[in-house]
Amino acid sequence: MSTIVANQLTQRFGSELALDSVDLVLDAGEHLAVLGENGAGKTTLLRILATASRPSSGQLLIFGLDATRDRGRLRSRIGFVSHSPGHYPALSATENLEFFCTLQGVDRGRVADTLRLVGLGEVAFRPAGLLSRGMQQRLAIARAILHDPRLLVLDEPDASLGSDGADLLAQVMRGKTAVLATHDQALANRLCQRTMVLRKGRSLGAGTRLRVVR
Amino acid sequence: MIRSAVVALAVARKDLTSEWRTRELVPALGQFVILALVIANFGFQIDSRNAATIAPGVLWLALVFAGLVAFGRAFAAEREQSSLEAMLLTPAPAAAIFAGKALAAALLLVVCEAVLLPALSLFFGTPLSLPLVAAVLLATVGMAALGCLFAAMVARVRAREVLLPLLTLPLWIPFIVAGGQAVQVAMGAGGSYNQALGLLLDFDILFLVLTTLAARFVLDD
Repeated sequence: MSTIVANQLTQRFGSELALDSVDLVLDAGEHLAVLGENGAGKTTLLRILATASRPSSGQLLIFGLDATRDRGRLRSRIGFVSHSPGHYPALSATENLEFFCTLQGVDRGRVADTLRLVGLGEVAFRPAGLLSRGMQQRLAIARAILHDPRLLVLDEPDASLGSDGADLLAQVMRGKTAVLATHDQALANRLCQRTMVLRKGRSLGAGTRLRVVR
Repeated sequence: MIRSAVVALAVARKDLTSEWRTRELVPALGQFVILALVIANFGFQIDSRNAATIAPGVLWLALVFAGLVAFGRAFAAEREQSSLEAMLLTPAPAAAIFAGKALAAALLLVVCEAVLLPALSLFFGTPLSLPLVAAVLLATVGMAALGCLFAAMVARVRAREVLLPLLTLPLWIPFIVAGGQAVQVAMGAGGSYNQALGLLLDFDILFLVLTTLAARFVLDD
C-alpha cells in the first residue's frame, strides 16, 4: 500500500494560489525530495502532508486514512520538522523532549538515546534557548523522531546542521518513508530516490533523480 | 480521561517551570496590582465608612486587567516560539492542552492574587477573610477558562492586544457581578454570600464545559 496518495492538492491563501493541483504517490520506504525556488510551494505542500494545515481542495490519503478527517490518528505516525524549531527556551533539551514524550504517549526512557543520535548528548541539560541554531535544528529533528514515526516530513532540515548534517539526515530517514524539502540538489540526490520540482505552486513532474536532472 | 489529565498536567507544569525560570510575568503582574492599589488609594477619598464599598471595585479592576495580561501571554508566547503547532501535531487531545494552559495561567493569577488581597487589606483596611479568598478563587477559575479560550483564538491575529479585551470583558461580566457581590458581603456589606457564591460556581461549571468543548475547534487549524 502507498504511504501517501495525493490527488489534485490545491491550497489558496485569499486570492493567492500557493499550491495548484499537485498529484503525488509515495510508497512505503521511499524518499522524495521536493525542490523549487523560494515561494514555489514546498512549505505549503509539506505542511499539508504533515497535517499542519488543510488543503483548500483535493484529496490526501496517508497510510490509507483521509488526512483531513483522521488527523488525530495520523499524527502519531508522522514526524515533522518545520521552519521554526518550536522549542521552549527555558527548558533543557532533555526537558523539551520529555514533555513531548508525554504528549506523544511514549516512554521517556528514549530521550537520552535520541539526543545522542542527533549529537546533542553533551548538551542534554543545557536550556534550549542557549543552544546554537544548528543544535536547535538537531533538537527539532530529535523531537520529530522521538515517537518513531513511519513517515518523516522534513522542511529544509539541512539549514544550519553543519558538515555532518547529511549523514545525520541519512541516519534518521533510514527505514522510513520521507519527504524532504531542500534547495540543495546534491543533498536531494544523496538522500532521495525520487524528486519533485515545484514552480509557482505547480508540480513540474516527479520522478527518479536521473529523469529530473534530464 | 487519565491520558487527558496527564497531558494537561504536563502542559501546566511546563508553563509554570518556564515562568519560574524566566520570571517574565508574575513580577510584572505583582507590580501592576500594587500600582493599581496605590493609584486607587490616591484617587478616592477613602475612610472607614466607604472602604468596604470602594475596595471590591478596585479589586476587580486590578484582577481583570492583570488577568487579561496573564491569559493573553499564555498563548502569545506559544505562537511566538512556534511551539503551539508542535504540541498540536501530537496525538494529545487539544482540549487537554487547552486545560493545561488555562490551569497554568489561573495559577499565575492566583500568585498575583496572593499579593493583591493582603495589599488591598493593607491599603483599604478591609478584612482579609476566607470567604473573600474563596470568592476570588472561584471567579478566577471561570475567568481563566474564558480568558484562555479567547487568548487562543486571537493569538494568531495581529491586533490581538485590542481584540482580547473586546471579546473577553463582556463575558467576564457575570463573574464580576457575582464575584463583586460575594466580595462586598465578605467585606461587611449586606446581602447573601451563599447565593453569590452559588452563582459563581454555576458560571464556573457552565464556562468550563463550554470552553472545553470549543477548545478543539479554536486550537485546530
